[in-house]
Amino acid sequence: MITFPGPVSALVTLPVAPDRDGIARVLRLERCARAALPDLRATIPAFNRLLVEGSPHSWDAEDVESRLAAAAEECLAETPRIDEGDPVSLPVCYDPALAPDLQEVAANAGVDVADVARLHSGTTYAVLATGFAPGFAYMGDVDARIAMPRLTTPRPRVEAGAVGIADRRTGIYPAAGPGGWRLIGRVPSALFADAAERIARFRPGGSVAFRPIDRDEYEAAGG
Amino acid sequence: MSPHGVVDRPGPLCTIQDLGRRTGRRAGLAPGGAMDQRAYLWANRLLGNDPAAAALEITLGGFALRFAVETAVALTGADCAATLDGAETGTWRTVRARPGQVLRLGYSATGMRAFVAFPGGLDVPTAFGSASAVVRDGWPGLLGRALRAGEPLRWAEPERARPVRRVPRELVPPETASLTLPLIAGYEWAEFSDADRARVFDAEWTLDPASDRTAGRLAGPALGSGPRVLDSTPLVDGTVQVTGDGLPLVFMRDRPTIGGYAKLGSVDPIALDAFAQARPGTPIRFARADLDAIRRALARRERFFGIHGDR
Repeated sequence: MITFPGPVSALVTLPVAPDRDGIARVLRLERCARAALPDLRATIPAFNRLLVEGSPHSWDAEDVESRLAAAAEECLAETPRIDEGDPVSLPVCYDPALAPDLQEVAANAGVDVADVARLHSGTTYAVLATGFAPGFAYMGDVDARIAMPRLTTPRPRVEAGAVGIADRRTGIYPAAGPGGWRLIGRVPSALFADAAERIARFRPGGSVAFRPIDRDEYEAAGG
Repeated sequence: MSPHGVVDRPGPLCTIQDLGRRTGRRAGLAPGGAMDQRAYLWANRLLGNDPAAAALEITLGGFALRFAVETAVALTGADCAATLDGAETGTWRTVRARPGQVLRLGYSATGMRAFVAFPGGLDVPTAFGSASAVVRDGWPGLLGRALRAGEPLRWAEPERARPVRRVPRELVPPETASLTLPLIAGYEWAEFSDADRARVFDAEWTLDPASDRTAGRLAGPALGSGPRVLDSTPLVDGTVQVTGDGLPLVFMRDRPTIGGYAKLGSVDPIALDAFAQARPGTPIRFARADLDAIRRALARRERFFGIHGDR
């Protein structure tokens, strides 16, 4: 589906699930769109959607729509190419003292805290979107056994480095602030100290792996 | 290096701004940039600057700058009864200054934001191609905070002689007691109820005092909260989002790049300039937008101010 949310922008929603395959198809569509529409000024991929922004000097909505529709059709016919690069690896301390929702998530799943850590760190995630805050990545898919909806009322303050889950998504708060995801671990906040590094770490379609660390290693890394 | 000027008083919120970040949006960075782009662009044009030269955005006024060199500056935007060593300067014009002189801005009686541009632009760090400060993005230094009292400033070409220039009176935007924002229906527009869609164009809201560089919030009649949006969707400038309380907000320069609430569409980007100058309590209505007219106006503006699209 293609809609026009602004005077020189088009939003394509692919009829696919907003998961690893979905973002892979959207990134393919992004490359096709850039080739088919040479006057694009910005593209933003997120989940199963792509926003393209063009120039007021050359924008022709009918032409944009037909080119994007052709590109989308092509991307849907192909097998999505999954990012095969090395995942970004981040150390996570799954300690209930640092992760206020860890025990509740374990109880909800009917497993031990250690099982939550094992299930959460036992898979490689795909970055499905970036945004919300600079350096925040929506990653999926979280093992269905530990998936839980976000809190009804967000916490007024979540620390930088807090690892949260919301349904089958996981993410790391890059800076302290309000947040409603269930917190199950912490990445040493030193890894989020540098703004440029924090922003460059995650890119849509990239892979991320979590490596469990104990409390000593977490403290040694700066806490 | 010795400063060309020192900020004696920054006022409630004084930040460095330019046209904002385009490429960083893909990485989740707020666009940032001057809230009233027309006033900002005029300030640079008066000095013959690049249209994207870094300038000061001064919210509400209360600002003072002491010059250390002979130079010129350009003042545009909200009229803050500016003076140079106590003599009224007027606004939408360039002002020449000598070392030791102090430019003061009082508090604006009508608009919200004044702009001061400098010859060649402020000499400040950039990130993702822009010097715009976005306080909530956590950038280091002036990219992530407001100016403080005593802040030293340098600009690129302090000595370049500038004739006194003014924006022609007929091109100075008028002050308006109320605003009608052209709305481009989009996003989840079709999924709002018929009653809500009719109400969008019939109702009158006022600008809420809780508005800031991220969004102008509207107070008044509540809409239904609209359809549930499952995944955050990429936003465009001026996106109108309806949050859980049913009240619309219009996203401005420090907006996020994706948003998870139901959205009505977006406001004509050119109308955002007047919206950026609206005081809390200003009556706000929406009208149906003419897309072709908006595109023509955007193209005309880019040509007039010499803006390059690849920025």
